[in-house]
Amino acid sequence: MAIITLNKTPTRPAPLSETSMLGWMRRSLFSSWFNGALTIFTLYIVYITLQGVYVWGFADATLVADNRRACYDYSLTGACWAGVIDWMDNIFYGRYPREEIWRIDLGGLLLILWMAPLWMRKVKGKIWIGVTVVTFYPFLAGYLFAGGDKGLFMQLMVAAALVALPANVINMLIGLFKEQSLGQVLQSLVAKFSEDEKVQRNLMLALVALSLVIAFVFQSQWQEVAVSWTKWGGLFLTLAIAGIGIACSLPGGIILALGRRSKLPIIRILSTGFIEIFRSVPLITVLFMATTMFPLFMPEGFVLNKLTQVIIAVCLFNACYMAETVRGGLQAIPKGQYEGAHTIGLGYWGTMGFVIMPQALKYMIPNIVGSFIGLLKDTTLVSIIGLFDILGMLRSISRDVPWLGLHKEPLIFGAIVFFIICFSMSKYSRHLEAKLETGNKK
Amino acid sequence: MTDSTAATQTQGQLSSAASNEIIIEINKMNKWYGDFHVLRDIDLTLHKGERIVICGPSGSGKSTLIRCINALEEHQEGDIVVDGILLGENLKNLDHIRTEVGMVFQNFNLFPHLTILENLTLGPIWVRKMSKADAIENAMHYLKRVKIPEQADKYPGQLSGGQQQRVAIARSLCMSPKIMLFDEPTSALDPEMIKEVLDVMIELADTGMSMIVVTHEMAFAKTIADRVIFMDEGDIVEENEPNAFFENPQHQRTQLFLSQIL
Repeated sequence: MAIITLNKTPTRPAPLSETSMLGWMRRSLFSSWFNGALTIFTLYIVYITLQGVYVWGFADATLVADNRRACYDYSLTGACWAGVIDWMDNIFYGRYPREEIWRIDLGGLLLILWMAPLWMRKVKGKIWIGVTVVTFYPFLAGYLFAGGDKGLFMQLMVAAALVALPANVINMLIGLFKEQSLGQVLQSLVAKFSEDEKVQRNLMLALVALSLVIAFVFQSQWQEVAVSWTKWGGLFLTLAIAGIGIACSLPGGIILALGRRSKLPIIRILSTGFIEIFRSVPLITVLFMATTMFPLFMPEGFVLNKLTQVIIAVCLFNACYMAETVRGGLQAIPKGQYEGAHTIGLGYWGTMGFVIMPQALKYMIPNIVGSFIGLLKDTTLVSIIGLFDILGMLRSISRDVPWLGLHKEPLIFGAIVFFIICFSMSKYSRHLEAKLETGNKK
Repeated sequence: MTDSTAATQTQGQLSSAASNEIIIEINKMNKWYGDFHVLRDIDLTLHKGERIVICGPSGSGKSTLIRCINALEEHQEGDIVVDGILLGENLKNLDHIRTEVGMVFQNFNLFPHLTILENLTLGPIWVRKMSKADAIENAMHYLKRVKIPEQADKYPGQLSGGQQQRVAIARSLCMSPKIMLFDEPTSALDPEMIKEVLDVMIELADTGMSMIVVTHEMAFAKTIADRVIFMDEGDIVEENEPNAFFENPQHQRTQLFLSQIL
């Protein structure tokens, strides 16, 4: 064959229909008479819907009123947000004593402070941030919310949390300004004292022990008034149950999934049985079992409060669902990855921890976050067994004398709250997926 | 074949580094997949510094054989002794053998979620208990040897097939193994990338590494092999030093195989 061209064909800009807004509209919205008519019709429906929502929810709505009657006096066609606003504290905090509400706010702020470094690119040692927040924060928050007398174990964990939290903040500051981790800075400080590695390690241990002792003494001075769990409620209770459920269900699910794939028959059969039993029962049944039947199996005098029972039930139930999600992820990992890990001498835990799990969890992020969202929404079931979570509180509004029969507005408000939380989780999962993408789809 | 053939031929044959010390000994080894008898009465010895090339038609059991050596597959009968340790039920032995035997796969099996450097330091840090700084220095040394130190911070998915395979070789070398096994290391590569991988392997052979290589690259086999083994249907059919093997194959099946691929 002869040579066809000696020069490279020059690059030309794409035609206008590919790049301009007008071109896009013409292709996507008005490609034919029929499609054009459909577009206009749909836009009309969207318009009348939005307009109706606007008039009802904003233009004619009542924000301040003493009772439902006053709302109607102001406007018959608008929403009565006054009821929701009047109950706002109840919706968020339940019947938690009003003068103690700062404890819930502080707990939330501390959590944000603790987790914020996870979003900061420059901060090092993110694994430790994650581990400490899961292991220590629940105890600190637990004491903050419940108050009262601390057992020895609780005292130890609170002390540990009081060490971990400032360490985490210092780590964040060092990360932001010096792009190092707290561990690295301490290491280089300690290295100035002595060359010997053993002495260095002992110095580090002494430092940790000293701060633990200080924290322990400090926390023994710290007393908060006890607030019974029966006063917990509202969005706070929903988030507490869902938060503990989320924190337990992922590790629990990983352990159950590994158990189900284990080569040891007893572990495999136990895990499989556990997963299948919990998965074949509706959550509401598990909740009833936990609160009414579980105490029957316990030794006499052994009393566990209802909230703890509910939390345990939610954790177990969701761990089983999570186990199947994780197992799906594990199955997507090719055999070659196990073999590659084996040939560099990694044993079972090394292979799982460094090679298989990180990849499996990455594939599973959408499903895992899906489960978390499901979990959060499922916690509303606790209102059926007599806990006043956000849904329980919203429904109580219609039974409150001034707002008798006010259903629509509280439920719509609840829907908005749930949407904001769930949508942020979903957004964050997309962000995580994009961040963890390493350009290999194999 | 391709350019790679010409390239390796020009280098001539490497001199043998084999000593008398036996590093792998396989005695009357048999393996079945269910009812299917894959490996039949295999006897094989590898001396320290020796390089063996295994060839044969697909399904002849050559990959299975070398996968048995580092216990990726279990054998049912016979003994495999690697570096003086009998491969058996004892899991401690298994972990020890795997750290002494490096393996390179057809599909690289790099860890896609880790950077090249992390791929190379994972084993040394967690299995060999090296400090992080030493492990990185070690990794950079081997990355230079396979000529891609500049790719250290990329992810495997961003590298070409040939580069990935060279990283895989470096990853095995980072564990300073006594023996290297290669399971068709160039079969998944584009022709223009085969040469870069074979060159790295020839250099490795030149340092006196004990190697068993399963490959279809016959010119490469001629260059590095001390012995060539031909397998068919689970048997070792013929075994000879390379010149004799290629110029004067004895067995009918060997002759047929060589006539088809050369």
